[in-house]
Amino acid sequence: MTAPGAVEFRDVRLDYRIFHDRTSSLFEAMSNLFSRRTRSEHLRALDGVSFSIAPGEAVALIGPNGAGKSSTLKLLAGIYGPSSGTVKTAGRIASLLDLGVGFHPELTGLENLYLNGALLGIDRRGMTPLIPGIASFAGLERFLDTPVKFYSSGMFMRLGFSLATAVEPDILLIDEVLAVGDAEFQQKCQDRIYGFRGTGRTIVFVSHDPAAVKRLCDRAIWLGDGRIMMDGPVQDVLAAYSAAPRVGTGAIATAPREWGTREVRFDSVAVTDSAGTPVASFEPGGSIRVSAEVSTSLPGGVDGLVFGFSLHRPDGERVIGTNNLELNEPLISFGSRARLVLEIDLETLEPGNYLLGLALTDPSRGRDYHWQDYFYPVSLSGGRVDPPLKLRKATWKTIERS
Amino acid sequence: MRIVRPGTALLLSSLAAKELKVRYKRSMLGFAWFLLKPVFSTAVYTVVFTRIIRFGGEIEHYSLFLLTGLLVWNFFASSLNASTTSLLDNTRLIRSIRFPRAVLPAASVAANAVHLLLALLVAEAMLAAFGHPVTPALAALIPAVALLLVMTTGIALALSVWNVYLRDVSQAVEVLLLAWFYTSPVIYPLGAGMLPERAEAVIRWNPVSGALCVVHSVMYEGSWPPSWCWLSLSVWALLLFAGGLAAFKAAEPAVVKEL
Repeated sequence: MTAPGAVEFRDVRLDYRIFHDRTSSLFEAMSNLFSRRTRSEHLRALDGVSFSIAPGEAVALIGPNGAGKSSTLKLLAGIYGPSSGTVKTAGRIASLLDLGVGFHPELTGLENLYLNGALLGIDRRGMTPLIPGIASFAGLERFLDTPVKFYSSGMFMRLGFSLATAVEPDILLIDEVLAVGDAEFQQKCQDRIYGFRGTGRTIVFVSHDPAAVKRLCDRAIWLGDGRIMMDGPVQDVLAAYSAAPRVGTGAIATAPREWGTREVRFDSVAVTDSAGTPVASFEPGGSIRVSAEVSTSLPGGVDGLVFGFSLHRPDGERVIGTNNLELNEPLISFGSRARLVLEIDLETLEPGNYLLGLALTDPSRGRDYHWQDYFYPVSLSGGRVDPPLKLRKATWKTIERS
Repeated sequence: MRIVRPGTALLLSSLAAKELKVRYKRSMLGFAWFLLKPVFSTAVYTVVFTRIIRFGGEIEHYSLFLLTGLLVWNFFASSLNASTTSLLDNTRLIRSIRFPRAVLPAASVAANAVHLLLALLVAEAMLAAFGHPVTPALAALIPAVALLLVMTTGIALALSVWNVYLRDVSQAVEVLLLAWFYTSPVIYPLGAGMLPERAEAVIRWNPVSGALCVVHSVMYEGSWPPSWCWLSLSVWALLLFAGGLAAFKAAEPAVVKEL
């Protein structure tokens, strides 16, 4: 297997150690040691996965959340090694897993490009001829000497995408649909990705969007519970996947869980209707109001906080997941405590029970402060249409508390 | 176009350059801090140990003696402080790009090494100006600094992975460095009869004593360092580098998933 672009997984297993309550201080570690309690268990993310991809194939990985799609991508990217089995890839790999991740805010666009080149294994001599192309594709020629902290999030992502795809990869790894910049740039991104097809380059694409999968890929691998359920032509696999009942691991996958550094935390959360009455079921046209009392232990308060929410079906399929940053709503700043009010205005196309999740994060610092996944059950009534939910509007408001 | 993967050296120098660039952005005195910091601490210690506690008074040019030792100590201490958190500080990077992760702690050491080399040059010029002999023994600095770098990198590698498991490591490092400072021949010389003999015998086997002894001998005294310095320095460099690298390699696969 030497042809650039080839991929081979042979009987791959991947285990994670899951901590029920992360032991991150010495005292806890000592007390656990003496009480001989083990608070960790092994979670098998992939269990005996074998497949091979020929150079030039475009393959989609589909399946519910927690099926092992992201783990497969991380193994392909070489970020993890398999717990057993072998993973072989040939040629240069570009991953669109987390765009602009190595960029340092204080450095200019150009300095960041050279630094990231080094991370990808390209020296200055190799990088210099690529710079004009990267800058013009991102439309940032005039801003290369500007520190990237002055970039808008769109500019930042554009530079990240242009860099990741400029290195002429043999294997391109894509996670989810790329929502980069404005509609015009998204079109350019798609054109570039589609341009990789038919040039002998291998594409591995993880997505929940069947339309995008059909457009880009000829073959699909359906993963469920860390195993391959089906591997074949994209139409056949998508049809079988959508016909399959969504049961089984759902109950475990959507158990409420809470995690994060808690440097900024939810002290209490009330889910109410727009009149402020706590309810769990919502009529069509009524909006969900989330009132969260939050506090922070960070000196100097928080600035640029991102408050996100998600709605999952009980089987773990994400229906909506967004935040104020993505919707171009103002970011949140406050001193030590505040009440955050989030109004979610839904167009309910598929009535039923959903799980509302909330998150406080700061992506610019890579911080996950407080996540509450699958946390607040809500039931929605309304007419039955597909797709089941559509977001009409969401607004954020901060009321500073002294 | 095919680009060769030139690997670690390029990445190491790029990351070290980034660390230096970022540190001095929006700083008026900028790079001059590499010298200002040790000079300022020298001034403080000189006042404390010659005016308040009369202790350093019998050493000629005590502040120059202090300065040479402090440069080595500051390199050691700030390298360890910076590298301990280097993996945690780059969580997103580690989780989304494949690269040899050992370069992260090593780059923190390399960035501090640039400071050390420049500061040693300036300090040597100052010593010469105050009449300390400039001798061929200065050549001993090259292998000594190289061994010191190797040793510090070894400790840095181990601390950086342990700190992912237990955040207490970075706190403990700060406290331990304080104790380590006073048990190292920075503010007092060895072999001058200032310490009880048994204490001196123990302090000679302090891992940083070897490097301190070399700079004191070749820069301050202008003589070839005694052989115990070389023995102590090389044994520790070898042991700590091998141990640190082994600890890093052993913990790396699990640590990547832990971050």
